[in-house]
Amino acid sequence: MDATQQNNILQVDNLNVYYGTVQAVKNVSFHVQQGEIFGLLGPNGAGKTSTLSAIEGLFRQQSGTVTVAGYDTLKDPRYARAAMGVQLQATSFQSELNVVEILDLYASIYGRTLDSTELQLLLKEINLAEAEHKKFGQLSGGQQQRVSLAITTIHDPKLVLLDEPTSGLDPQSRRQLWSRIEGIREKGNGVVLTTHSMEEAEAVCDRISIIDHGVIIATGTPQSLIDKHRNDPEVIAVSRRGKITLEDVFIALTGSAIRD
Amino acid sequence: MAITLPKTSSVLAALLKADYLVLWRNRRASLMALLMPLIIVFFWKGAMPGAFILANAITLGIISIGLMGYANAIARDRDKGVFQRLRVSPLPLWTIMASRLLVQLSLILLLTVLAFIAGYKFDGITMPATSYIITFFISLIGGALCLSLGQAIVGLLKTPETVNSTTRLVYLLFIMTGMLGQFNYFGHEFKVIVEWAPYGTLKTILAAGLDPARWDNHVSESLLMAIGYTVIFSIIGIKWFKWSVK
Repeated sequence: MDATQQNNILQVDNLNVYYGTVQAVKNVSFHVQQGEIFGLLGPNGAGKTSTLSAIEGLFRQQSGTVTVAGYDTLKDPRYARAAMGVQLQATSFQSELNVVEILDLYASIYGRTLDSTELQLLLKEINLAEAEHKKFGQLSGGQQQRVSLAITTIHDPKLVLLDEPTSGLDPQSRRQLWSRIEGIREKGNGVVLTTHSMEEAEAVCDRISIIDHGVIIATGTPQSLIDKHRNDPEVIAVSRRGKITLEDVFIALTGSAIRD
Repeated sequence: MAITLPKTSSVLAALLKADYLVLWRNRRASLMALLMPLIIVFFWKGAMPGAFILANAITLGIISIGLMGYANAIARDRDKGVFQRLRVSPLPLWTIMASRLLVQLSLILLLTVLAFIAGYKFDGITMPATSYIITFFISLIGGALCLSLGQAIVGLLKTPETVNSTTRLVYLLFIMTGMLGQFNYFGHEFKVIVEWAPYGTLKTILAAGLDPARWDNHVSESLLMAIGYTVIFSIIGIKWFKWSVK
């Protein structure tokens, strides 16, 4: 491992994931550095969630390596998982448990003990101090999302993986989420997120990769990708607002056909 | 970057606490499983030998807990994504299921105690201390058999709805064939089949546990059969089990 790789909180090399005979991820490689927000963008079914699932250990890759904070996800899966905080696209907690009980459970699972002051502080941070004794099943979608994000970062992970974290959130909750993600970056931890919102990716991500049909087709800072492709005839053709945006580059690279 | 893993014992304790809380909050469902054996003891009092009544009552309760309680809870949590969230944390995967199984086994032990109390109160059934101890162990073996059957069902079926309807159907089949078959209503061959089916083997070993003087080769063979069923159902339930159905 060279010096540059040592700064990488996440290193993905030649990752290949299959579902039966269908190859969902093809030779994907990328890295995330400390204090970096990295966006993985792609249309529906492009391989974003499959890539994240392989990093999280939910699927076993057929080949390739994934290293989180120096731990290989296949050789040291528990250490790798302890180094990351994950917010899944579709996830839930036992609906019979209340907010405090869920936070307490996951704090223990990650080896943390929350005293009452820390717990109250965390509840205030996620604006759920009033709802601390509400059962998870009784919370609104936005409140559930905030509980989920609080658990994702409850152990101050080196790497945070967020799969479409803003989906279904109102603008206020979205703004609060981004400020929490900024906070993670400021601590020097890495963030990988997937999103369908190009505006968000452009505003928040330090670097992005565009993935389509399981292959990474472009990587760079949002501005560098815009600059690189601004004169492509396909980009100009799809541009609607007079100036070239990341969304124009994204549609030009991945096509305008609707994906299921 | 040194990472410290949480202690497995602390993780298991946290999971157990959460699973007991869920059990307590769903106590109406558990109450139904606990009430059924008591109803049997109450209505059969005096009509059958004490060991026979208690064996049937405990068998039905164990089947109810293993099938409807365990399998349905697993299917529901799997569908919601509860397991996926746990799987991305650093806990050893076996602790997730171990916690669920321990909670159900403790419910089975509670059921056994309640059946003993009901037997004494309603029918004056008393036994030597060794019978109580042996029955506790056999309840655990029976619990393992029914929980493994529940595991096999959630391994083979995916949606909570199909798991729910299948467990109800299997439960009903067990009651109908088990209780009617043993009275020779459907002929000798059917009675033999029922005797060696999971319900029959479980009832046989429980009855012998309650009255150890009756322990013979047939009971030992039933015990082996029950263990065999447990192994087969466990293999099916583990091999085909998916943590997520999405």
